[in-house]
Amino acid sequence: MKNLLLTIIFLMPLGCLGELFLEITKGSEDPYRIAISPFDGDVRTSNQLHNIIRNDLMRTGEFSILDEELVLPIKIKDDELIYSDWKLLGMDYLITGSIIKTKNSIDVNYEIYDIHKKKKVRSSKVFGIPNQIRQLAHYTSDGIYESISGIKGIAATKLLYVNETKNSKSISAYKLMLADSDGANEKVLLTSSEPIISPSWSPDGKKVAYVSFETGIAKVFIQDIASGKRESVLSKSTQISSPSWSPDGKYLSLTLYQDGNAEIYIMRLQDRTLTRMTNQFAIDTESSWSPKGNKIIFTSGRSGSPQIYELDLRKLNPKAKRISFEGTYNAKASYLPKEEGIIFVHRSDDGLFHIALKYKKENFIRVLTEAKMDESPSVAPNGNMVIYGIKEENLSMLAGFSLSGARFKLPASEGEVREPAWSNFLR
Amino acid sequence: MDEKNTMKKFTNSFLTISTLLLFSACSSMQVTEESVADQSVAGVSLATKSTATQAVLANAVVYFEYDQFNLTSKSIQVLKGVTELMRNNSKITISLEGHADERGTREYNLALGQRRSESVANYLIANGIKRNRLITKSYGEERPLSLGSNNLAWSKNRRVEIK
Repeated sequence: MKNLLLTIIFLMPLGCLGELFLEITKGSEDPYRIAISPFDGDVRTSNQLHNIIRNDLMRTGEFSILDEELVLPIKIKDDELIYSDWKLLGMDYLITGSIIKTKNSIDVNYEIYDIHKKKKVRSSKVFGIPNQIRQLAHYTSDGIYESISGIKGIAATKLLYVNETKNSKSISAYKLMLADSDGANEKVLLTSSEPIISPSWSPDGKKVAYVSFETGIAKVFIQDIASGKRESVLSKSTQISSPSWSPDGKYLSLTLYQDGNAEIYIMRLQDRTLTRMTNQFAIDTESSWSPKGNKIIFTSGRSGSPQIYELDLRKLNPKAKRISFEGTYNAKASYLPKEEGIIFVHRSDDGLFHIALKYKKENFIRVLTEAKMDESPSVAPNGNMVIYGIKEENLSMLAGFSLSGARFKLPASEGEVREPAWSNFLR
Repeated sequence: MDEKNTMKKFTNSFLTISTLLLFSACSSMQVTEESVADQSVAGVSLATKSTATQAVLANAVVYFEYDQFNLTSKSIQVLKGVTELMRNNSKITISLEGHADERGTREYNLALGQRRSESVANYLIANGIKRNRLITKSYGEERPLSLGSNNLAWSKNRRVEIK
């Protein structure tokens, strides 16, 4: 606390802003077909849960959900479920559930039935307090997703992003925002009259690092989400930017401008000692850690245009290896969670910027988006989804896609939003 | 288990989740029980700084080509005037604030803006101005002069503001 940079801290009323709107534009061609029966218990709560769960599952692009009106409430006494009826409707799975609400608690119990195998495959309970309906729904969605797909769900993860609004005199206000993975439940972490860029999560989801220009130059700050305590990471007078947390939470990679040029350093958080990783006349920035923490990738201009390089941290004096070769602008790369590939920003021959994927095993890149100015891709912790920034009619907003082919958009309800950062798993 | 007490304990803490994974005896059915946790969040609002600064002595802007940080002949004309002013007012320090257009990634543009700022500084130093009278910094693409996504707006935004 003693090193805390002195800033005036107010506790803000939470949830005062509008929320992002989820708009699902496209889904997969061979989805799981499921029916979700209205949950037993309070009808309003059941409807709320249903809407959130439906959106969570649709956003993955891997589900087709039977129209609610066609599903009547079902009371099932164990194996009385008539599988053949659901099979006739073309369903793969049926989900039933119940809600038990008291003044202080909500319990959600849900069951998943495999229509083809004719058996119950999951029986789960999630419980919380009444204002946690969104979280209860996200936990339920993740349970459903995990049981059916075999992959860990990301409905209960969170997003960070930057919001910029302009007042009537065109003066900007910048906010660092936190929201559920569906853009709902927005909360303000920081409000400033100076730009905020490059938000990055600590791996445990308790802290964020970001660049703030509040002192007149770029500086990296770490902020504790629960307490709002924040501090500048280094007392140096130089510009500092592009923070990225190591997977074990012990290090931050950073870009320092000590001698005027952008170079990458790794800082040990415990004692703030710095190790210089690049030493190049050209720009080196946008570092990001491999999932195991033994490599970093970064953007360097050393070849004459921005390209992606990799450094093996296990080696003594590692030499940066160039790993992008297609085109004249490849930047802001991050690894997929199993390190099977990288996601990055790629400038196409027509001069437009897109999000691209390159699998390690392949010798070509896959361009995955088609707007004009796509940027800041962030990969979900299960590796199945990417969220990024787009510009539509001069307004920045967030968009996403699943690797299975679904697309969605999260336009801001107010102003512009950009630079999304997906948290780790939080449950 | 006293569920309500457990829940209260969990409500304000993050990531304190009890997950029970049980497998029923006769089938491969998954049985789980989880308490939901959501983090508490404290918002921070930065007070606006006072913007009282020294009177502007040098006030000039030089522009750059796309992706470039080398000085054009037009920029050099502008910088000759700045050099003159610096020589005649030996006490002033100036800030060289680099900017980029919106194309490309934000952090790379921050670094590019810095390179532009350094280009201007290097010219002034080569013409006898002391380094300690120059402050170089970058705002990247965060402070566009001209809004809009077209060549004209972009050309106005790739700049170093000398003030």
